[in-house]
Amino acid sequence: MSGLKRMLLGAAVAGLLVGAGPARADFWSDAAKGLEGTTIHGVSESTPPSNYVKDVLAPAFTKATGIKVEFEATSWDQMYDKAIKDMEANTGIYDFVYIEQDIVYSYLSRDFLVDITKSLAEKPNLKAPDFDPAMFTTFVNYFKGDKGDIFGVPMEAFIKVYLYRKDLFEDPAAKEAFKAKYGYDLAVAKTHQQYKDIADFFTAWGKEKGIELWGSTVQAHTGHPASWYEFFESIAPTFGVYNWGIDASKNYAATVEHGGSMNSPESKKALEYWLSLLPDAPPESTASTWDEVAATFAAGRTAQGLVYGENAAWIATNDTKSKVVGKVGVALPPLEPGVLEAAESGKGYIGYYDGGAFGIPHSSKNKDAALLFLEYIAQPSVQADWAVAGSRITHQATYDDPKVVAQDAKTDGYYTLMKNDGRLFAGAPPYPFHAQVREATAPFFYQAITGELSASDALDQMAAAAEKELTKLGYRK
Amino acid sequence: MRPQSVGWLFMAPTLVILFVFGVLPFVYVLVISFFDWNSFAADPTMRFSGVQNYRDLVFDTGYLMSLWNTLKFGVFAVASEIVLGYFLAQLFMRNFPLKSFFRTIHTLPLMIAPVAVGATWRLMTVPGLGPIPYYLDKWFGYDYLISRYAGQAFFTTVVMDVWHWTPLVTLTLLAALSSMPKEPFEQAQIDGANKLQTFWYVTLPLLKPAILAAVFIRLMDAMRTVDEVWMLTGGGPAAATRYVGLYIWRVVFPKTDYGYGSAMSLITLYLTIVMCWLLYAGLVARRDLRKPE
Repeated sequence: MSGLKRMLLGAAVAGLLVGAGPARADFWSDAAKGLEGTTIHGVSESTPPSNYVKDVLAPAFTKATGIKVEFEATSWDQMYDKAIKDMEANTGIYDFVYIEQDIVYSYLSRDFLVDITKSLAEKPNLKAPDFDPAMFTTFVNYFKGDKGDIFGVPMEAFIKVYLYRKDLFEDPAAKEAFKAKYGYDLAVAKTHQQYKDIADFFTAWGKEKGIELWGSTVQAHTGHPASWYEFFESIAPTFGVYNWGIDASKNYAATVEHGGSMNSPESKKALEYWLSLLPDAPPESTASTWDEVAATFAAGRTAQGLVYGENAAWIATNDTKSKVVGKVGVALPPLEPGVLEAAESGKGYIGYYDGGAFGIPHSSKNKDAALLFLEYIAQPSVQADWAVAGSRITHQATYDDPKVVAQDAKTDGYYTLMKNDGRLFAGAPPYPFHAQVREATAPFFYQAITGELSASDALDQMAAAAEKELTKLGYRK
Repeated sequence: MRPQSVGWLFMAPTLVILFVFGVLPFVYVLVISFFDWNSFAADPTMRFSGVQNYRDLVFDTGYLMSLWNTLKFGVFAVASEIVLGYFLAQLFMRNFPLKSFFRTIHTLPLMIAPVAVGATWRLMTVPGLGPIPYYLDKWFGYDYLISRYAGQAFFTTVVMDVWHWTPLVTLTLLAALSSMPKEPFEQAQIDGANKLQTFWYVTLPLLKPAILAAVFIRLMDAMRTVDEVWMLTGGGPAAATRYVGLYIWRVVFPKTDYGYGSAMSLITLYLTIVMCWLLYAGLVARRDLRKPE
């Protein structure tokens, strides 16, 4: 037998031996043994990243594990309503729930969530080989408990950015007219006054040209907390008012009188500024939540606006949904002097770093299956496509993926902005009384939008109402 | 087995269901209303607070305002539905081409879930998208913006409710009109009564039980309206359409103030019963008393 024949025979025998041995499945099917056919139920807000989970990742997980996923992507209000009721009543309807960054403190204070770090340590057979909490961006820190264990697997993270229409800002006629009117060049606003000038200019421009164009988006729903959030998360910080103007270190003071800043001169100036944008906003603005603001910008009805970053990708690239594809510019929001410096030194922030995670309620009846699902969506291999579809990034490495780099170019550097300047943004303050204070103060805020109250009176009443509510809740002594 | 025992045996399933789904939750809400209980308070346990929740209600301007708005909403909506429902019922009493088709079309809103009704009206009224603001502006130069103007928002919620529920009133009155005896009308004709007199002295008294039933049902529904209005306005602008059901929902769910919300629910239930009783006493009982022996 020649050497070549021996080699071929050897290879054939080896092949037969391997083939005759027990089949070795991948981690997912191994880990899911005994769980096949289980159905896990989840609830989340209907957003581009959530819909990607529903349409792409959940079916792929089912294929890999045999575990079915029933994923409810509903409205923001309903999502909270359903999740909290389920966890409160311990009914066990949901096996995983969306935890928005701003509610995690409430959930942790009530011990609603399973400690994921501990669960994986106790069940090493469920630990995916590529699941490593260190791979996440620092956003994961929001979902950590006192001891550093994680209670939620980051699902989406993005910043609320300043989007503007590059085509309008670069239009020679608009540039010339703007310079003639305001005496300086039309460019991305760095200050609030510049932003207001641009808003005024393009509103007049739209009117003059007979086109449906306004100067700015304003998320100013008069009956939905989205407007309250726009002010406290995205506008007030740009005037140097942080943490909703409530100072936890001063007995949760909200009024200036007691050491808070909810009704401080800066806060009042911020609200006056924001309200002054309403005449420059499309008429639907007073009925707009975050979704409608994105739709308004995508419809080409405004020249600029603050838009939640989860929408940046589709607005800039999806021509089946957006009329402004290829015309979108991305920048940091306009600021008052000193705010950027405060953010850079870690003493403040310039806007909202939004996002959320999926967590497993203690009431879940299928914790193991849910744990696998959370690890599945946290795999590095699924992150890039998800980032492209939903402009969200939760892994540090995703920024450098070629697909994301390509999408970054199409979105005028949105991902780069998030990577480089994300540190200047912050999530909601670590208060467990999130919805309670919002509900107590929002009625006055809506009255400010409708003009029933002045900005000053509204904030005075809001600060007093916040302190009253915090006293009732037992946080303020 | 005695006949009475057999009766109770047949009644038992209904009574059990009524007890579990009606009486028990009511008692639970009643008990909670005497406690201070908020899931996200520093102390999330239930603490007995006596009648404090009820005392707070008296000074809660938001709640009182929502009650007043609900009352206005109920009166305008139900009155419109009764009048419109009566005329539509009269129309369907006559014969005209495609009557069955129109009667079916007319009842379609009843089959739509309130949330869908609210969403549909929202789409119709949102500026930049909805046809209502577009055509009001185009044809009349009217600035229709329900997210900004309280009066417009209130009026629109009333119209939405009328659109949704008038068919119920129509069907109720249609059934009553169809079953009316002919004799009183013939007698009125013989006596020389004109149309208005016939309506006032014959039709209306004969229709009264059906009208009252429709009023009670619709008034109680109006007092607890939530989903339609939530979808359309979210209770805004400001507090203009924050009707009492919506107000209670906000207190109980987003604000998780279960004790206070329970007290609010019970007082609202009590006021609804009182309102219906007053209506009954004013429109039925008093006239019955006046009847000669």
